[in-house]
Amino acid sequence: MAESPEILTGASKNRAGFAMDTERRIKTIKRFIERMPSLPTSVTKVLEICNRPDTSPNDLNRVISLDPVLTGQVMKLINSAYYALPNRITSLTRAIIMLGINTVKNLALATSVLSTFRDRIACRRMTMDDFWAHSLGVGVIAKTLAQITGVTAAEQETYFVAGLLHDLGKIPLANKFPGEYDQVVETVGSNGASLVECEQKVFGVDHLHVGGMIAGKWRLNHDMQAAITGHCLECGDVSDHTVAIMVALADYLAVRFDIGAAGNREIEDKVLIAALGRISIRPDKLEGLRSKVEQEIERARDFLKIAGRED
Amino acid sequence: MKVTFWGVRGSIPCPGPETVRYGGNTACLELYLEEIDRRIIIDAGSGIRLLGNKLMAEQLPRGPIQADIFFTHTHWDHIMGFPFFTPVFIPGTKLNIYGPVTFENETLQDALNGQWTYRYFPVRHEELSSEINYIDLKEESIDLGQGLVLRTKYLNHPLLCLGYRFEFRGRIFCTAYDTEPYRNLFCNDPEDPAYDEAMAREGEKVAREENERLERFIRGADMLVYDTMYTRAELENGRRGWGHSSMEYAIESAGRNHVKHLVLFHHDPGRTDAQLDELDLRLCEPARSDEFHVSFAVEGTTLQL
Repeated sequence: MAESPEILTGASKNRAGFAMDTERRIKTIKRFIERMPSLPTSVTKVLEICNRPDTSPNDLNRVISLDPVLTGQVMKLINSAYYALPNRITSLTRAIIMLGINTVKNLALATSVLSTFRDRIACRRMTMDDFWAHSLGVGVIAKTLAQITGVTAAEQETYFVAGLLHDLGKIPLANKFPGEYDQVVETVGSNGASLVECEQKVFGVDHLHVGGMIAGKWRLNHDMQAAITGHCLECGDVSDHTVAIMVALADYLAVRFDIGAAGNREIEDKVLIAALGRISIRPDKLEGLRSKVEQEIERARDFLKIAGRED
Repeated sequence: MKVTFWGVRGSIPCPGPETVRYGGNTACLELYLEEIDRRIIIDAGSGIRLLGNKLMAEQLPRGPIQADIFFTHTHWDHIMGFPFFTPVFIPGTKLNIYGPVTFENETLQDALNGQWTYRYFPVRHEELSSEINYIDLKEESIDLGQGLVLRTKYLNHPLLCLGYRFEFRGRIFCTAYDTEPYRNLFCNDPEDPAYDEAMAREGEKVAREENERLERFIRGADMLVYDTMYTRAELENGRRGWGHSSMEYAIESAGRNHVKHLVLFHHDPGRTDAQLDELDLRLCEPARSDEFHVSFAVEGTTLQL
């Protein structure tokens, strides 16, 4: 893109002005994060429980009940989607018995994730839908990679959740500075710059760092934090944390499969193959991954249609 | 009211020498109200093809075909015959199609449209010459006109699924398929670390209440067609949660709710004629009395209410 050099070099600003801008921006971002809803029940807890293939009705009931807002939303969705008679289902226990554990679990999952992400991005070049599809795609791919490498079913969910949340740090950036973030997305790829480099040039901080701030506020566990702050294979200081590497790889594969969009650029085959080597996956193991991922995303989108409604 | 069974199987058609007497087509019933010349079709499993042929031969020469089709749900065995229902291609045919929305709140039309795409069938829904009107149903009671009243009830199946209760001039015809008795899904063992007394108690109460609601729904039916894919032993042996009932449960439930004729329906595709004969002797025969009749649905038969 023709206009990229100015952004990349900061040529129109003197150094002091740039530093002040950066400081102000970081303050704005911090304020935004402070005001982000803190989740009464840790979002990861809901996600982890809901995503286990063998979730027990007792666990599901407990984890949803801990969060009165989530309980209310799930009950509202169930009643409006299912019954002409208003408020026919009045308790989670009843909902689970009548509608089955999978139905309630999927509603809770969609609701809890969506309440975190809803309406928080207003960029032209990275819409909420694009961002959501990308996040979901990375979650699904990370989980599938985990499967391929022999991670147990219970642990695979960690990879899914880590993938789903890996780009959390982009939300404050894109929400508070939509114009600048559009420029960042436009610039990525020209001059050989990565997304993280472009963000650092423009904001003085990148989405890995901002994501780390949110992860800290939400007290996400070590695996999540590692994935959120270390999912950049092109950055010099490459994480050696398995979840982070797997999520980073999933991130690149999502771009390659053209699933959603979150500003990332495509990477070269040799980087991809080298990364696969680090977690001992042969490239031919990835055959069929794309269609599987697309199916999973379609399914999840259906739930979002309900969960995303205001009434 | 006349009820004709055009298809009585669950899951998949199973033609062959061992199913020739009870029939191999999947779910399709025709309810015909002679007094008002009104035809109601319930589900469009593979059996609906033969019903379509009959309507083409007998009804079409007398005028355009009109029918109400009620889908209990959109699982494959209940919709697979629809593209082979010839009247749907005939200009002048008028169909009102009723059924539940899916879990994702997708309309009935959208759910059914899936099979009218080139990858599954060479004709698209937009290309059909008949006039089709789709009506989404929830759990409710509606007046279908001409003295015909319908009540619907959600059943216990992995997909939203409706039972239908038609009342016409004092007679009641009722369906309850596909469904499984509700059960308490919550841990009931005080020794288990996950045990929660309140949850276990409420779970018991809810399951009992929901089963009682279904019993009230079928109560007093002149004819009840019930999903009895399994025997009790089969259901308890690895088939819980699949959304189907046992013959024993349906017989007990219909018996205590003053149903006059219980028709056992949605036979497992693996069930042979000889096995159904044996089950009739073992389970139906002892339950029969002057007030209560039980029989297995037989494809191609018509019963009068």
